[in-house]
Amino acid sequence: MASIDIESVRKSYGPFPVLHGVDLTIRDGEFIVLVGPSGCGKSTLLRMIAGLEEVTSGDIRISGNRVNDLAPKDRDIAMVFQSYALYPHMSVADNMSYSLRLRKTAKEKIASAVGGAAAKLGLEPLLERRPKALSGGQRQRVAMGRAIVRKPKAFLFDEPLSNLDARLREQMRAEIKKLHADLKATSIYVTHDQIEAMTLADRIVAMHGGVVQQVGSPLELYDTPANLFVAGFIGSPGMNFLEGRYVVPGEGKGAGIRLSDGTVVPVASRTGIGPDATVTLGIRPEHVVISDTGMLEASVDLVEPTGFGIILHLSLHGLPFKIFTLDREALSAGPTVRVDFPQKYLHVFDDKGDRVG
Amino acid sequence: MMHQPIQKHRPPLRKRLADASEPYLYSAPALILIAAVMLVPLVVGISYAFRDIQLLNPFSGGFVGLDHFRALGQDQAFFGALRNTLWWTGASVFFQFTFGLILALLLDKPFYGRGLVQALVFLPWAVPSFLAGLNWAWLFNPVIGPLPHWFVALGLMDEPHNILSDPHLAMWGPIVANVWWGIPFFAITLLAALQAIPRDLYEAASIDGAGPVQRFLSITLPFLAPTIAITVLLRTVWISNFADLIVVMTNGGPADRTQIVASYIFTQAFRRLDFGYASAIALVLLALLLVYSMLIVLLRQTMLNKG
Repeated sequence: MASIDIESVRKSYGPFPVLHGVDLTIRDGEFIVLVGPSGCGKSTLLRMIAGLEEVTSGDIRISGNRVNDLAPKDRDIAMVFQSYALYPHMSVADNMSYSLRLRKTAKEKIASAVGGAAAKLGLEPLLERRPKALSGGQRQRVAMGRAIVRKPKAFLFDEPLSNLDARLREQMRAEIKKLHADLKATSIYVTHDQIEAMTLADRIVAMHGGVVQQVGSPLELYDTPANLFVAGFIGSPGMNFLEGRYVVPGEGKGAGIRLSDGTVVPVASRTGIGPDATVTLGIRPEHVVISDTGMLEASVDLVEPTGFGIILHLSLHGLPFKIFTLDREALSAGPTVRVDFPQKYLHVFDDKGDRVG
Repeated sequence: MMHQPIQKHRPPLRKRLADASEPYLYSAPALILIAAVMLVPLVVGISYAFRDIQLLNPFSGGFVGLDHFRALGQDQAFFGALRNTLWWTGASVFFQFTFGLILALLLDKPFYGRGLVQALVFLPWAVPSFLAGLNWAWLFNPVIGPLPHWFVALGLMDEPHNILSDPHLAMWGPIVANVWWGIPFFAITLLAALQAIPRDLYEAASIDGAGPVQRFLSITLPFLAPTIAITVLLRTVWISNFADLIVVMTNGGPADRTQIVASYIFTQAFRRLDFGYASAIALVLLALLLVYSMLIVLLRQTMLNKG
């Protein structure tokens, strides 16, 4: 087990920068999830930690030792690939023991390590099979087994569940979480799936365009997103955004945000923005309250029952707007509904997209 | 139930005949074409082996049974050609494969201008074999070619002479030409197989601690094995039948030192004009190659079953 320090790490392919200086400290035993849309640089960062990509500038340290120039095999890390990357010509047991055999580990030690990992992952009856005779979920397990037999300093996961169907993904997600609780090994997990990020991470690193947008616990990112990107990326269905102008408090009235139709949505007073500044108001679909006395009226475009709850697709001032509610009455919502925005759930972002207050 | 008995009557004979022959009639054009193009010449060719066919002898053509094969059993030139065939095929396939594999491994690594090099590598394959043979014959000729002079400069030869006229070295001339000519085949097919290997397997192996040699042995080689087996089989059969270069460069000489079975058949048929005897030799070669092919196919099957 080890801590991993990433210090102003940059990566460019020729003249094209992919990562614009990433700083990150990963504590011993922590489960870190790198999340972001495709092309945001999360996989590149992971592959640089693994040693599969060269670092253009900056330092990567594992347990305090600079590893920039170390070959992947000398970094003492294990990686689980999206495609699993199992050796097709070897049995499950040989796949799992390959790294130990290369290190000339004693036969008895190999057998006990493979046996232990197989027991943990429920692979014992499959040890003599070849990868092609396994299902997707079983291959995924073998890939994890191959990683854990070595007891590496850190586990790297590159979208390991993307090739599985939804139900299996949910199941493996829980297993990965259990495994981490059990092994307590430092883990870095790359995904574009924000549910995986939310459920697995001790801390999430949200990335976009080669820049780290926010680092924090899942609920920190959910409750206080640092900018419009994080606010929009985390959460499903995604946060609603409305353009408006900031109204400073005064004359017995509190602060507010004036929307395009003149309605002023009251918000808690914020510092750091001037009067009449252009802002974006954000509210999550599940925080919108439907009420006959609501201050805004929206027309209902579409009603989506998910079973668990109901998603209402609305038009508010001509812009799409979503509500998520558990109330079945919403199924019979009329052509229009009135909505209210509780103050404590409102997010305000300035014209650069950064959170205010 | 009321309507069924009517249907139970057997249809008239003509209808039944037409129904039964339908699939054969549909496939007949293709089958007849294949039979005419492939089977007829084969059968005629095989029949020559048992007949006395000499182009310049108008009275020949009679059935001679196994006479040709008895003569073949006594024919020292044939056994010499058989030994030369083994030597020619073995050396050619071995070097073509070795250099082809090395070239494929080099071309598999990304480098600037790889597309152009890949295209150029294929060029020798596009050169007509007779032209390639003439070219190499000239290269080995000390009067016009540079190679003997280079050999002397390197200390490999005492004085520039033509290795094609040296009984001990003559076979190397066509072999070198054949290797040059055949490397692209192995390079391109093996390169295609190499590029089908998923890259992340190599990445996983490098994280697992495998060096270049171990990665080659535990990933590249198992992936290439089926391709290697089938290409080596094909090339072996082709090369043992491939007389062009030898006919052009040495014509079997000096003193039959470069005569292989295929060129011996050519000599018998088109120089001595004894088609019967040539067919008998060809039949023996065919049988040997069939046995060899079956062995390789069996080997490949066991390999695939294991893999």
